[in-house]
Amino acid sequence: MTLLEIKNLKVTFESSLGKVKAVEDISFKLMAGETLALVGETGSGKSTIAHSIMNILPPNAAVKGKILFRNQDLLQMSEKELSQIRGKEISLIMQNPALALNPVFSIGHQMTEPLVIHESLKKSKAILQAQDLLKRLHFKGPGVAIKSYPFEMSGGMKQRILIGISVILNPKVIIADEPTKGLDSRLKTMVLEELKLVKEMEHSSMLFISHDLHPAREISDQIAVLYAGEILESGLTVDFFKEPLHPYSKGLLESLPEKGFKPIPGTPPSMIHPPEGCKFHPRCPYKKEICTRKMPDKVTIKGRDVKCVLYN
Amino acid sequence: MAISKKKILRYLLALFIIFSLNFIIPRIMPGDPLTNLLGEEFSLSEAALQELRSELGLDSPLMLQYIKYWKNIFLFDLGYSYHFNQKVIPLITGRMKWTLVLLLPSIIFGAILGTILGALSGWKKNALPNKTITWTFLTIYSSPPYFLGIILLYIFSFKWGLFPFKGFYETGTLSDIIQHLFLPVLIMSAFSASRNYMIMRGSVLIEKEKLYVVYARAKGLYKEAILFRHIFKNAILPVLTLVALDFGFLFSGALFVEIVFSMNGMGTLIYEALLSRDYPVLQGCFLIITLMVIGANLFSDVLNGIIDPRVRERQ
Amino acid sequence: MKSRTFWNRSGLILVAFFVFVAIFADLIAPHSPWERFEPYTKPSTKHWLGTNDIGNDILSELIHGSRASLIVGVGASAIATLLGLFIGLISGYFKGFADELLMGVTDIFLMIPRIPLLIILAAFLKSSFWIIMLALGLLWWTSTARVVRSRTLQVREMDFVTSSKCLGFKNRHIILSDILPNIFPVALPKFMLTVATAMISEASLSFLGLGDPSMKSWGLMINFAFIKGGLINEMWWWYLPPGICIVLFVFSIVLLGFSFEEEKKVAIK
Repeated sequence: MTLLEIKNLKVTFESSLGKVKAVEDISFKLMAGETLALVGETGSGKSTIAHSIMNILPPNAAVKGKILFRNQDLLQMSEKELSQIRGKEISLIMQNPALALNPVFSIGHQMTEPLVIHESLKKSKAILQAQDLLKRLHFKGPGVAIKSYPFEMSGGMKQRILIGISVILNPKVIIADEPTKGLDSRLKTMVLEELKLVKEMEHSSMLFISHDLHPAREISDQIAVLYAGEILESGLTVDFFKEPLHPYSKGLLESLPEKGFKPIPGTPPSMIHPPEGCKFHPRCPYKKEICTRKMPDKVTIKGRDVKCVLYN
Repeated sequence: MAISKKKILRYLLALFIIFSLNFIIPRIMPGDPLTNLLGEEFSLSEAALQELRSELGLDSPLMLQYIKYWKNIFLFDLGYSYHFNQKVIPLITGRMKWTLVLLLPSIIFGAILGTILGALSGWKKNALPNKTITWTFLTIYSSPPYFLGIILLYIFSFKWGLFPFKGFYETGTLSDIIQHLFLPVLIMSAFSASRNYMIMRGSVLIEKEKLYVVYARAKGLYKEAILFRHIFKNAILPVLTLVALDFGFLFSGALFVEIVFSMNGMGTLIYEALLSRDYPVLQGCFLIITLMVIGANLFSDVLNGIIDPRVRERQ
Repeated sequence: MKSRTFWNRSGLILVAFFVFVAIFADLIAPHSPWERFEPYTKPSTKHWLGTNDIGNDILSELIHGSRASLIVGVGASAIATLLGLFIGLISGYFKGFADELLMGVTDIFLMIPRIPLLIILAAFLKSSFWIIMLALGLLWWTSTARVVRSRTLQVREMDFVTSSKCLGFKNRHIILSDILPNIFPVALPKFMLTVATAMISEASLSFLGLGDPSMKSWGLMINFAFIKGGLINEMWWWYLPPGICIVLFVFSIVLLGFSFEEEKKVAIK
């Protein structure tokens, strides 16, 4: 059953330097209970997609397309209707836990807030639930943590707290935006474990956003590769890692340490003046003449969607 | 403990230094130190002057004088005013309560009004009433408080006779006092509010851009709720610091307003003392005001410690 | 966006206007402010704002008053800003003991009740224009010092400073050529706001009669109006114009100061 469907999403930002074309023409589906990894380099538009779904983009953003959740277009909803969905049905684990937590409120306050607001739970009951969740997230002293403040917590703890706050209402869709960014490998493993745990608890779907292929591989069923605001390839994770189709995907895998650490030549394009035609062509070893003129259409091969002339 | 020992020590040090400053000033100013200490409005015979000189210890070495100075302070003796024919301390305390009656309600009203309006203004940046309010407060901020006092006095008291234009020498009935206090408190409140407004507004504008606000929305918190829960507590922190730092400034403003409205507080006391060069009173007022300013700073630190958990942690 | 440049521009125009008037006061004013005519006259075609208690033309007083207020304001602020810059830079750059010491001094200065102290000083010394300017400057450097210090702390961690150090440049050189230019956008609005505060303080002191009578500042005009019966006799043309000038001038400076701060914030983003 399709839970979330993005159709032809296009997001541009007005900036003093020009129009930033953050997301070009994105379409994908998220099924119930499924985990989709969205991978791409920094600036490829990953967070923008996440924020579009939650509809928390800054005022200088212009959005086109449809984001269907249970067949309702999230982009057309009023702020009031959206507030019923955010946190409760779809929730976001933000990229920067240190800044996402309010410094002057206790952990307990921030964690019980969704419960109190969405489910009108009494504070005392909510605190018990929060403590329970913290315990399941491997906090040794949940009672102490509840009373503490963000500045008293380490980076890893803050990350877990953020995960906790985002799942406390058992949302159907969890969007995890770069949850392992900047963490050492031990913490990375731990966070992944937490996320898997959290998925299991309520059989939620997850949109896992990362630039790091390893955790993406570990946690996802489906994977989509994002480049300069377009999804170049998407399909089953297992198949993808066995045999990537798009030249960019190939380049990504080859750049991994265990595959040779070979970097993709060139740099990601400017989002204000993206290249003509296929956005990847300046860096592509297989580029043809037509690539400089036209962005290839999506083709489906072996159950995978690719946007490359090589497969037309 | 809401406030650290280190801070208390700093305040005590400040007190010590400022009080010592008060000791030094009359002695390094040009002119006869006797006049500098007693004011210019007394006349005694030469022999009496000499006796007074040795009584005040002006003949003895500076160190002894210094010790005597501190002794007097601890004995609550700030000298004698020849102009007013009273000891300085009771003179000041008598007048001080009137100044505080003007100042304290003004600080409270100003804080509440300025903070709330400033927060709303920062939140809804472009609404029209917003701009008018901002410009009005900006104008108030730019005016010397006594000037506002003069204008309002002229309009409301002279022209329209709504309020009396002298202090309160009449009976002490409540409505009488309120009538006399209304304009001065209005002006001081507006003055204090304008400063709080500017800071709060700026503070909210900054906090609005922070990530925890976006995250709050992502959690499903509705618009107005977000502001008054999350932003307010953060944004108000600089205002608290301001209120304390501003106390000295507001106090000075109050002095001028008192003079304009001929109220019976420290302002008019200082004015009169100034006109007759009554130095003991002037210096006594300086010391008392210093005490109050330091007290206000202390209070704000404690308040800060209560509201902001990070501050508590650091000490 | 539009409102920001609007503020900036109107503030600039107003300030320029006042500065212009101050510089060319002799040419603009219809009479010398010291010349005596018939006292206590109402506004007329001969004297647009009437005359004061000793017969000086109020309009000429007003125009010349801009000079006094301006010089004291800018002068005091210059002293205060220079002092604040010096202390803030040293404190922020060298940190450690110097920082503790200087910040301690700053804290103490912050707690001195300034207007009362100024009143005492002015009472003891004869009210001279230079003394007022000096005293104002010596008391109002504190908030500038704080702001400069925190910015210095930020800037000194930046890479180009570290690379200067690695290149073996002397501290004094680093402070002057690397750090100072970065402090400027923070110090400038502070300078403007200090001018505003200095002007209001001077006006307040003058109102108490502590101003320098040889320089007829606006505050002093209001003082004379107040004590020579201008208020009771409803001579609004005497005490209103100087007050309005003070408000307008300070207002325009504050506008400029705030608009600089807004720009700085956007630039940092």
